[in-house]
Amino acid sequence: MPALPYPAASESLRELGRRLFFERRLSFNNAMSCAICHVPEEGFGTHTSRTAVGLEGHLLPRNAPTLLNIAWRPRLFHDGRESSLADQAWLPLLNPLEMGNPSISHVLEMLGADPEYQKAFQAIFGSKQPTMSQVGEALQAFERSLVAAGSRFDLWKYRGQASALTPVERTGFDLFQGKALCSSCHVVGKDDAVFTDDRYHVTGAFLREASPAAAGSSSDEMATSPVEIELAAFVQAVRSDLGRYEITMDPADRYAFRTASLRNVELTAPYMHDGSLLTLEAVVEYYDRGGDAVPNKSPLIRPLHLTAEERAALVAFLKTLSSPAAAALPTRLRAIP
Amino acid sequence: MKTLKQCFTAAATAAMLVTGLGQPAVADETCNSPYMSRLIKGQEQFLHVWTLGVKGMGDGSDKLVTVDSDPKSKTYGKVIHSLSVGGRGEAHHVGFSDDRKFIWAGRLDDSKIFIIDVGTDPAKPKVVKTITDFAAKTGYVGPHTYYAMPGRMLIQALSNTKDHSGVSGLAMYSNAGELIETYPMPKDQADIGGGDGYAYDIAINARKNVLLTSSFTGWTNYMMDFSKVLADPAAMKNFGNTMVIWDLKAMKPKKVLDVPGAPLEIRWNLAEGQDWAITSTALTSKLWLVKEDAKGEWQAKDVGNIGDPSKVPFPVDISINADGKGLWVNTFSDGTARFYDMTNPEKPKQVYEKVIGKQLNMVSQSWDGKRVYFTSSIFSLWDKKGADDEQFLKAYDWDGKELTKKFELDFYALKLGRAHHMKFSAKSDVASSDASLLTSRR
Repeated sequence: MPALPYPAASESLRELGRRLFFERRLSFNNAMSCAICHVPEEGFGTHTSRTAVGLEGHLLPRNAPTLLNIAWRPRLFHDGRESSLADQAWLPLLNPLEMGNPSISHVLEMLGADPEYQKAFQAIFGSKQPTMSQVGEALQAFERSLVAAGSRFDLWKYRGQASALTPVERTGFDLFQGKALCSSCHVVGKDDAVFTDDRYHVTGAFLREASPAAAGSSSDEMATSPVEIELAAFVQAVRSDLGRYEITMDPADRYAFRTASLRNVELTAPYMHDGSLLTLEAVVEYYDRGGDAVPNKSPLIRPLHLTAEERAALVAFLKTLSSPAAAALPTRLRAIP
Repeated sequence: MKTLKQCFTAAATAAMLVTGLGQPAVADETCNSPYMSRLIKGQEQFLHVWTLGVKGMGDGSDKLVTVDSDPKSKTYGKVIHSLSVGGRGEAHHVGFSDDRKFIWAGRLDDSKIFIIDVGTDPAKPKVVKTITDFAAKTGYVGPHTYYAMPGRMLIQALSNTKDHSGVSGLAMYSNAGELIETYPMPKDQADIGGGDGYAYDIAINARKNVLLTSSFTGWTNYMMDFSKVLADPAAMKNFGNTMVIWDLKAMKPKKVLDVPGAPLEIRWNLAEGQDWAITSTALTSKLWLVKEDAKGEWQAKDVGNIGDPSKVPFPVDISINADGKGLWVNTFSDGTARFYDMTNPEKPKQVYEKVIGKQLNMVSQSWDGKRVYFTSSIFSLWDKKGADDEQFLKAYDWDGKELTKKFELDFYALKLGRAHHMKFSAKSDVASSDASLLTSRR
């Protein structure tokens, strides 16, 4: 990974941010914290649904993105609408579909009335009563501390440990950079790699039906699914998700979404901005067949003609991007009283 | 889904459950805890319906709606009181305290529990305490089943604060509303058969020293639009597939039973020589029998389909008759109430069915089984949409052959919300004192 692009925050500020991150009272009905959609044990995303569930069950249109290594991302959200973690933190807090707080003051007054938070804000900022920017700063400091690098790939590529990857994994990396075109968007640098170009691309995932087969699930996974149920009476209308276009209003950005980092990707299923692909195998298969026939699709998404062995090698390589720190973080963060 | 009412048949008297053996048999009129006193064996006077508020409808708040259920009353079949508790938190199930003077009414989203006085004046219930720190103190989310214990309330939750999955546990509270202890559901305990950690209902057979639990799903699923859950393979993996036999006195799990497809309500037949429990599985549409085998080992057995499982009728609430020989089974998708002959629990036989509405969840029957009440809502986001989203309370007489409607209330037309769990009450001079032994022995 490149050097951290920001000076390290104080331990006390990071700790305040950690407490806020796990604070269920930050939602209007006290039922959700940041950590409910960004579950530490699930790669700081969520495995248990394709897209996140918000206040009073509002179904959000997008998969909760991982927060691991978020310090290196210049733009935030799948559509890149925000650039500052400190500012970004307030968007879910105030979004009526997410944490649903009715106002900024509502949040600040709740925190300002809690003796423990009073102590913490007094010690760090010199006042018991928090401000909007201080809450954002604390959450930003914590989220920037979620660093998870040092993968086997890093040891092999940047530390010269030839044995860190198996021959199959090395083949996978060759494919990643070559035939499979992955590194066109998931960029690998000479000295370091965040595995994203932080640009916006139309992959076509937005038009895919969320059927079990399309999602790449196995029959075991669906063993108890009432797939034959007549769903018509239960279905709720869903609006289109136009991606980056919702920020730029540029028709060329319709259905475009920001490239995800692939670091720790093994830990962050399901995949794509809408969580429509359950496994890495399903993702590789999707790109191998050139995605679906959708308008405005990126020219980079085209049939790759990979063999089964090559697809397996790619998946094996992707799994070398997992960091030992990512596995250790949840226990450490929750162990703090 | 429904209910928390634990049904008992002709054997479980509260006193017997406390002392263990040999006491006269009584049962409960609506499947309440056997530790609950003041059974209503005659005419229930009031019906309390725990109702989910709907945004933009009336005051939008969750509320306990009280309906006059006495046919001799001038206001029979009418709403006579509505107690708004504030906010919408996914109102779900309720349960009586052991003295039947208080209803504990819970919410699955914000995990608030309202302790409501229905003993002082059942026509005018009043909130006396609100527990707001259930999640913070127990680590569990979604208090679901409220099961009266002597002087205490045992609560089964559906989820947890860590990841909102279905891994959860039980929490014992004092009647004053103070947390006493928590008991996690077994998970991956090889010595007792594994366990998925999931939770749902509680039912006790004290003679056998057995507490039986079932398993459903966590916050992420029950707070997600139902059509999305069904279409989401990541979500569909997260349903319970187990029941657990606990050592009641030790409050320790003893054996995990494999019951795939989300086993929900549990009803015991505690008649002498019976000692079996029945449950239904929501996703696989089956009835499962839990019974000791010839060696005294508890086993779970698939004893038949409910409707056509390929059409996913989605069984929800069930209610067993006082004599254990009949069972109401509601199926949500087709809005149908089905009655089963349980004379041979190994081979339940459906003998009647009637479509009650476009959707159907809860059922409560009087002690003599002659009056049956139905409500419509399962979860705010699992109920049907548009015109199929009927919200009602419907009251019927049952003569053993046919349901005859006595009255119905349209909860949307009345701007009340989604009708969910029901409990009966009566003024003190009406309730039976059969279980007063329990009170006097404490």
